[in-house]
Amino acid sequence: MATEKLLMKGNEAIAEAAVRAGCKLFFGYPITPQNEIPEYMSKRLYEIDGGHFVQAESEVAASNMIYGAAAVGQRAMTSSSSPGISLKQEGLSYCAGSELPVVCVNIMRGGPGLGSIQPSPSDYFPATRPGHGDFRYIVLAPSSVQEAADLVMDAFDLADTYRNPVLVLGDGLIGQMMEPVVFKDYEPRAFDKTWCASGCEGREKNIINSLYLEPSVLEEHNLHLFEKYAEIERKEVRVERYRMEDAEIALAAYGTTARIGKTAIQALRAEGLKVGMIRPITLWPFPWAAFREAAPGLRFVLDVEMSMGQMIQDVRMGVGEACPVHFYGRVGGMVPSPGEIVARVRALAG
Amino acid sequence: MGNRIEVDRDRCKGCGLCVVACPKQIIELGREINLKGYHFAVQVDASRCIACQMCAVTCPEVAITVIRAVRKPARTAV
Repeated sequence: MATEKLLMKGNEAIAEAAVRAGCKLFFGYPITPQNEIPEYMSKRLYEIDGGHFVQAESEVAASNMIYGAAAVGQRAMTSSSSPGISLKQEGLSYCAGSELPVVCVNIMRGGPGLGSIQPSPSDYFPATRPGHGDFRYIVLAPSSVQEAADLVMDAFDLADTYRNPVLVLGDGLIGQMMEPVVFKDYEPRAFDKTWCASGCEGREKNIINSLYLEPSVLEEHNLHLFEKYAEIERKEVRVERYRMEDAEIALAAYGTTARIGKTAIQALRAEGLKVGMIRPITLWPFPWAAFREAAPGLRFVLDVEMSMGQMIQDVRMGVGEACPVHFYGRVGGMVPSPGEIVARVRALAG
Repeated sequence: MGNRIEVDRDRCKGCGLCVVACPKQIIELGREINLKGYHFAVQVDASRCIACQMCAVTCPEVAITVIRAVRKPARTAV
């Protein structure tokens, strides 16, 4: 089974990966371009023992349903696209406050507002600087259908390891594109679930809650969360260094933009320009160190985004004053061509 | 009727691969949107269609049907 290569749409691969990782409950609400995730789940979950699919009455409801599912120790997922994620932020903040392991997929589209339905990864800020309160999501950003499937499986384990919401951040291109995918063998690990509200016969009752009216107690709780986040920053940073061995110029890009950047790098290398790429796979924790280590040997970094410059803040934080950081971005669902990136690098390289 | 294609408009996600694949450059993404909200592919000049099937083979959504004109049987000498 493991070596079976399938041609799948990104959204369907994400859904199938979740099922293989033990997700039995899915709560969703329709929005393009992520609709194939709930569509797939609504059929697939009824093929497995204990699987259930609910189309919620709203995004807010769906994000509170995963709260409930996680509170009783079940693996649950929800998904949406940018405007819907704004609504889910409420429930996800509650999940973070109550330390619940949930997975949420955001197949980003153009914004602000209703925006467009074309690929537009412009939710870097709400993913890495999340909703209300002092907390973090673990944010995973795939740049292919294969990686989306792999990261969704990892997302469930990361959520359970740290009892924290994990966001998988794709966009309309990753979600709609069809590519070959091989699902890795998922090996279920045992996680501590003694904190769950799963029936208290023979033990003290567990209370799942994010309300702490006593300031000193809430402070203690938040400090506990940030000890956890410090551990995540130490252990869970993921980054791809692409052709950085001899690079004099580095692109910084994630997700869809990174795969376009790789094509551009091949063209630039053919012209003799030594260009590489640092591709954050975890947007939080961000691989600041990868930029800090590489920057002194670089002429400049070109941050390429399909937004008006969101990740560039973290790139600058990593690079510091070691070399200049330039920017190139397309927005609104316009996908940059490799040629545009080539031209930009060429112009900057002089 | 000559060669032409039929696009299942509500399956199309407007990826534009058929537009690139068509050797006659007679497929475009139209102005109308489909049920999903995408600008779907339309054949703008069927008279130049050679029924090569490149568009149908390329389409990841299997949304294109190619209809080949029925050729008149060649007249054979008796």
